[in-house]
Amino acid sequence: MNEQREIMELLDRYVKGTLSEGEITEVENRMREDESFRALADEHILLTRNLQAYGRRNEMKTKLEALHADFQKPVVSLPVRGWKRYKTLSAVAASVAVVSIAATLWITQNLRSQQNSDYQELRRTVDKIQKSQSALEKNLTRKPVVAPQFAATGFLISAQGYVITSQHVISKADSVYIQNEKYGSLKAVVVHSDPLNDVSVLKIVTPVKIQSVPYTLSQTEAELAEGVYTLGFPREEVVFGEGSISSLTGYRANPNAYQVSVPVNPGNSGGPLLNNQGDLIGMITGVQTQTAGATFAIKSSVLKEILADSVLDSLQAPIRLPKTNMIRNANRIQQVKKLRECVFLVNVYKN
Amino acid sequence: MANYFDELILAEIRKKNEAALGELYKTHYPMAVHLVCSNSGTEQEAKDIFQEAVIVFYERAQQPDFVLTCKIKTYLYAVCRRLWLKRLTERKRFDVSIPEAEAFDRMEEEMTEVVESEMNFQRMRDSLQALGEPCRTIIEDFYIRDFSMEIIREKFGYTSADNAKNQKYKCLQRLKKLFFGDRNVT
Repeated sequence: MNEQREIMELLDRYVKGTLSEGEITEVENRMREDESFRALADEHILLTRNLQAYGRRNEMKTKLEALHADFQKPVVSLPVRGWKRYKTLSAVAASVAVVSIAATLWITQNLRSQQNSDYQELRRTVDKIQKSQSALEKNLTRKPVVAPQFAATGFLISAQGYVITSQHVISKADSVYIQNEKYGSLKAVVVHSDPLNDVSVLKIVTPVKIQSVPYTLSQTEAELAEGVYTLGFPREEVVFGEGSISSLTGYRANPNAYQVSVPVNPGNSGGPLLNNQGDLIGMITGVQTQTAGATFAIKSSVLKEILADSVLDSLQAPIRLPKTNMIRNANRIQQVKKLRECVFLVNVYKN
Repeated sequence: MANYFDELILAEIRKKNEAALGELYKTHYPMAVHLVCSNSGTEQEAKDIFQEAVIVFYERAQQPDFVLTCKIKTYLYAVCRRLWLKRLTERKRFDVSIPEAEAFDRMEEEMTEVVESEMNFQRMRDSLQALGEPCRTIIEDFYIRDFSMEIIREKFGYTSADNAKNQKYKCLQRLKKLFFGDRNVT
């Protein structure tokens, strides 16, 4: 056995190439001469080669596994048949469709609201005030008063207690209260509405003595560039604004309205528009949002017609319009002082 | 037949450039997946087959007499096809027909060699498995990892070099029996 072992070790060294030249010749000679030695050597060499190949292969396999891990899922395996094959694709398509539909709806919605908001009616939403008011009331531990939903402006047109304001302000109103410094809060009812011209006539129902109206409705159309001013309630306090007649037609060339350059805000709707002589020439109704400084006011001639018409369908007694302008020769400050008493904050309550 | 890209890859693989090997692997892997998966195989099996083919190509490329007579893709396809058919036959499935690759020079001889070396590999794997420990590690250490007998003696805690050599000799004899004995039977 020892001899066999020696042979194997010799062959090992032969295969690994660690024999000296002399020994190599010796081994090769012996292979030629000795049949059994040759068979042994062949077998040994074959085995060693196979072992080495096995080793290399395993090494390569590890290397390739690492390579493979580098690019995971390079292709979708094919044997998936039928509609499942398109499952991912159809999921993608469906989500794209949903997204684009949603986007289209959203965009068109936006467009529509933009068109609507080109002309803005100037009633004021009173949410903010409502909040702060209820907070105050909580502090005072009093029964909370229901806050108005919208607020705007209105003005006296007759000593009988008729007040004009914008129709959009009081549309669908449950109740309307008007208030100013002189009269406090008064209950009013809607006696006539003209949605087309955006004008409503209110009648004060609280018994109170109304003094005569200092201004008159202008008989003639205003001149271009004529100086005008208004009083209104864009907030709880009365606010003065002035400008001039920019155009003799209103929004979209409406001949029943003026375009004026008076700065206004939500809440100014229904405010009186007066000229330097203290003649009432119109009533503020809205603004064009896309254009700077384009405020619209309904003409006094239209107001007059509406008041005359309203007698026919809703008023018991004809409205006696003011005949004399008591502030014609007063300066602006005096005019406004008088005017303030006839301008009201209109509070609208809705469910 | 071979194009410039293939020649470049072959040259780099001869230099044992791993990046080139990766490129080769990535480029042709989908082909193997398609071949195996459209012939009742899974992607896992495709991976095995393809790796075998790449190893065969790599080994052949290292041999100085190797000349590329066709596209690498054709070569890999032929090898994959042959190996997959062999697997299917082992599974007793004869009803599969996989389209032939484009023929190239010495294709049959190459394929016979491929199958033979594959069988040798499997037999060696099984033999080493059957050999058991510590023989397997001793043999692998000496013949594959090229460790000296001195290191092996220390590693396995044999008291003398003679003991270690004896152990190795016995292991080798057993392995021979396992490896060649099986071949004589089959």
